[in-house]
Amino acid sequence: MKQLVAVILERDVSQVTKELLRLSALDFISIKEIAGPLGNKIDQVVPKVSEARIGEIRKRIESFLAITGVYPEREKRLNVDELHAVDIDEAEKTLDRLASRVQSLKEEQKNIQQEILKLEDISRQVALFEDLSTTKTKSTSFLNIQTGSVPERNREAFSKELATLPSVELAVGNGEQKISLIITMKRDDARVNAILEKHGWTDVRLPKEVSGTKEEVLSDLDRRIADFKTRQDAITADIKRAVDEKKTELLDLWANLRMNELSSRIQSYFGKTARTYLFSGWVPADMKNTIDEALKRITEGRCYLEWNDPDDLTREVSTPVQVPVKLESPKLLSPFKMIVENYAIPEYGTINPIPFVAVAYLLMFGLMFGDAGHGLVILIIGLIGTALQKKKGKSTDLMNLISYCGVSAIVFGILFGSYFGLALFPAVWFHYHGVIAGEVQAGPVKNIYSILAITIYFGIAVISLGLILNWINRISKRDWFNLFLDKGGILGGLIYGAGVYTGFYFVAHDYKQLPDSSILLWTIGLPMLLLFAKGPIKHSMENKEHGGKPLSALDIMNFFMEWIVEVLEIFSGYLANTLSFMRVAGLGIAHVSLMMAFFQIAAMLSKNGHYTIGSFLVLLAGNALVIALEGLSAGIQSLRLNYYEFFSKYFNGTGRAYAPISLSHRDEK
Amino acid sequence: MASALRRYAFINAKLRARISTLLPQENIDQMIRAKTLPESIQFLKDSPYAAAESVYSQTGDLKMAELELFKEEIGLFSEIGKYVDTEVKSFVSALSLRYEIENLKHALRLWFDQRIRGRNIASLTGYLYRKQILYPIDVDSIVNAESFEALLERLSGTPFAAVLSSCGSKLRETMSIFPCEMALDHYFYRTLLEAASTLKGRDRNIAMRMIGAEIDMQNITWIVRFLTFYNMPVDEALSYLISGGFSLGISDFKAAVQPEENQDIVSTLMGKKYPEWQAFSSQKSGGPFGRLLLVERLLSQMIDEEVSHAMSGYPFTIGIVLAYFILKQNEIQKLITVLNAKYYELPEERIKSVI
Repeated sequence: MKQLVAVILERDVSQVTKELLRLSALDFISIKEIAGPLGNKIDQVVPKVSEARIGEIRKRIESFLAITGVYPEREKRLNVDELHAVDIDEAEKTLDRLASRVQSLKEEQKNIQQEILKLEDISRQVALFEDLSTTKTKSTSFLNIQTGSVPERNREAFSKELATLPSVELAVGNGEQKISLIITMKRDDARVNAILEKHGWTDVRLPKEVSGTKEEVLSDLDRRIADFKTRQDAITADIKRAVDEKKTELLDLWANLRMNELSSRIQSYFGKTARTYLFSGWVPADMKNTIDEALKRITEGRCYLEWNDPDDLTREVSTPVQVPVKLESPKLLSPFKMIVENYAIPEYGTINPIPFVAVAYLLMFGLMFGDAGHGLVILIIGLIGTALQKKKGKSTDLMNLISYCGVSAIVFGILFGSYFGLALFPAVWFHYHGVIAGEVQAGPVKNIYSILAITIYFGIAVISLGLILNWINRISKRDWFNLFLDKGGILGGLIYGAGVYTGFYFVAHDYKQLPDSSILLWTIGLPMLLLFAKGPIKHSMENKEHGGKPLSALDIMNFFMEWIVEVLEIFSGYLANTLSFMRVAGLGIAHVSLMMAFFQIAAMLSKNGHYTIGSFLVLLAGNALVIALEGLSAGIQSLRLNYYEFFSKYFNGTGRAYAPISLSHRDEK
Repeated sequence: MASALRRYAFINAKLRARISTLLPQENIDQMIRAKTLPESIQFLKDSPYAAAESVYSQTGDLKMAELELFKEEIGLFSEIGKYVDTEVKSFVSALSLRYEIENLKHALRLWFDQRIRGRNIASLTGYLYRKQILYPIDVDSIVNAESFEALLERLSGTPFAAVLSSCGSKLRETMSIFPCEMALDHYFYRTLLEAASTLKGRDRNIAMRMIGAEIDMQNITWIVRFLTFYNMPVDEALSYLISGGFSLGISDFKAAVQPEENQDIVSTLMGKKYPEWQAFSSQKSGGPFGRLLLVERLLSQMIDEEVSHAMSGYPFTIGIVLAYFILKQNEIQKLITVLNAKYYELPEERIKSVI
């Protein structure tokens, strides 16, 4: 990373802002923050249009476009060359016009809904009658049901006028005279009577033999309700069309607003003096020349650019400078980047943990879930998930991780000779199922203790790697004090190495003999004594830097207590960390044992030595259960081992992620 | 200890996961800032309340969207009921009685409007909830009952027949549905307190405390409304109060409404039992409505504190279940308030002041 401090003239501010947006590489820092006492002489730049106001209008556009299922950040590519000054009032007017159109359509839709509710109410009322032909007891309902007829010449006009009210009109009877059954609301009596009178309505008693009337009425009501719903759907489509017609205009407006919003954000980091504008930020070292050239070109050389190295800055100010970290990883390893970022951002200048996590995670998963068949299922799930996520335009990291886990399980399945719990092919390394079942008598791994030992070796290797990475980090940070005297430093590592040696020596001698006392003295005793020097050395270093009081009896007491605690932490901590890896064996054994149990149940359900349908169902359900439960457990435990046993040795998560103001919403601050 | 662990371990994990999906305040703020109702409701599109947005998108009718949210609330109870044992389930059922009563009150109001006042309710019956909540009630037959006696007949087999028969004479006397609504509210709180008293130990204390705080809030709101806005006689107003409050008994209310009390009722009641009231009452109150709003805020803040206490304290109690209901109900009520405010085009500040 490089720190840029730039001074430009007022006339170039707009062009420089645009260029910085195009480059999308500067992680801004407040100029006042780095100006020290001179900060008082620098004024904050207030953008012409507030970022918040632009943001509000942009979000308003997003909510309109969401009606049509359009998500502008996915559909619209931002192009700085199209950036122009935004007329906020005009933009608001455009949106208000659209809002007004949408609201009037919504009002129309609501009115139709009221009609639907009325008809549904009539429908419910009608459903309460047993037979409409005999029910004219008007007091039982708020409906009026009448049968009668109008002269043929008035029929059409009558029907049309009646339809303006909530009503049902149905042709009933099969004689020559056309009889209508009409259902209206009592509240509309006055208007209904006027229509009846106008069109010459004559009451006709409905013959008792007329049947099915209620069903016809209900079906007529259903048809009318369905018609209304179709009209509502048409309005929904109208609303979508209204927005869709404006789609291009809205997307362009959105893009311009978004770029103006980002420009305002960039300028909010600017400071100004009487004649000049200043800004500062971090950029990746490989972008230095590009940015340098671009700014000089845009300003035609009317700028002053100062590039600082983080180490130089630290030396100048004698305190650590918070440098953002750009976690780099090949696309292939992006799922592991997700794992690291989820934990924390590593300190600037330390080793990128992503490749190490990738290897450790997949090894742990494979050891716990070594079955080629199950791995294949997981791989397929991962690949399908990846395709679906891609289709939705969402991140595929998690699905890719699942696919990688599937591949790891396949590889270890081949090593362990396990295919859906069956030994279809000979194991390349050792037959896991055979070892658990006690069937293996020869070879490098013969029993469960051997499996446990493998995971202990694996744990020691992971912890040792963590310690080595920590030493490299300390050397690169020139942190000599912690390189030697921290519990994860060289002395701590020496004690751990000696502890491991002692443990193996003790086991190799039938738990009866420890290594020679001189070895223990030099490898454990002496480092422990040297660790006691940590407190006094630190005290004298602090005194040297800041000045301070002379050593008191209390200080010595504190040194002693801190030393005791640290030694205890080294012994118990490293022991627990190492034994923690036995969970890898535990889960692997559980995986195999569960499969064996399901095979035994399947065998119990078999007849004459042949599997029945029940046996196959048990095996199917068993495999599914093992894949789901064990897959989840192995994934979580691998994560846990990485976070707590591996990261804790070398990962200092005090870093800050590099977050430039960028055209890409993924980089958004 | 073991039984509490067995009883609440699963539901605790499940509800905590659910609580993490509550809408962030940022979403509510965006809904408030939206210029129009259609723009505001769009923010529910990708949320757990997408069904309400979908209904609004289809009908343009906010009340239909509200009905969908009401269904959502009722759904919470039936869902939680699946994961708890009999003892807790009967308490959860008592909690869901609130919705049965709300729906029944809605049906009663429609019946009253149509039968007694002769109003047209045709387009209003569509907003009733028709599925069974606790008792098999046919709300359509209630709305269309020919008389109050017929209405009681249609409620036979439910406890509401007896509750409502007790208020029949008052209904005829006052020509108002109000006494019946109060009788139903009293029945709800009585049943809820009874159900809470069957819980054991820590569960009972937590439930009683939370219900008590709600009763306090309800009683204060009522007494102020009855006396200040309805000009109801003091004895009648007191007769409507519910016993079982957490800090305020009926006797406290009786004392507060005595003529010799110079202070307003709210300050007298709140000042006596809630020390936090002093800080609250120093805010500009803006008349009786303003003071009422302050009371509601203070008491709901206290209920919120109970919720956070339940969330951060010993996890295997009824507290987590109550906390979930309260948080979810608050969220749904907040959404309904915001959407209605958008419908009536209320300014942003006014909406923020009431939620």
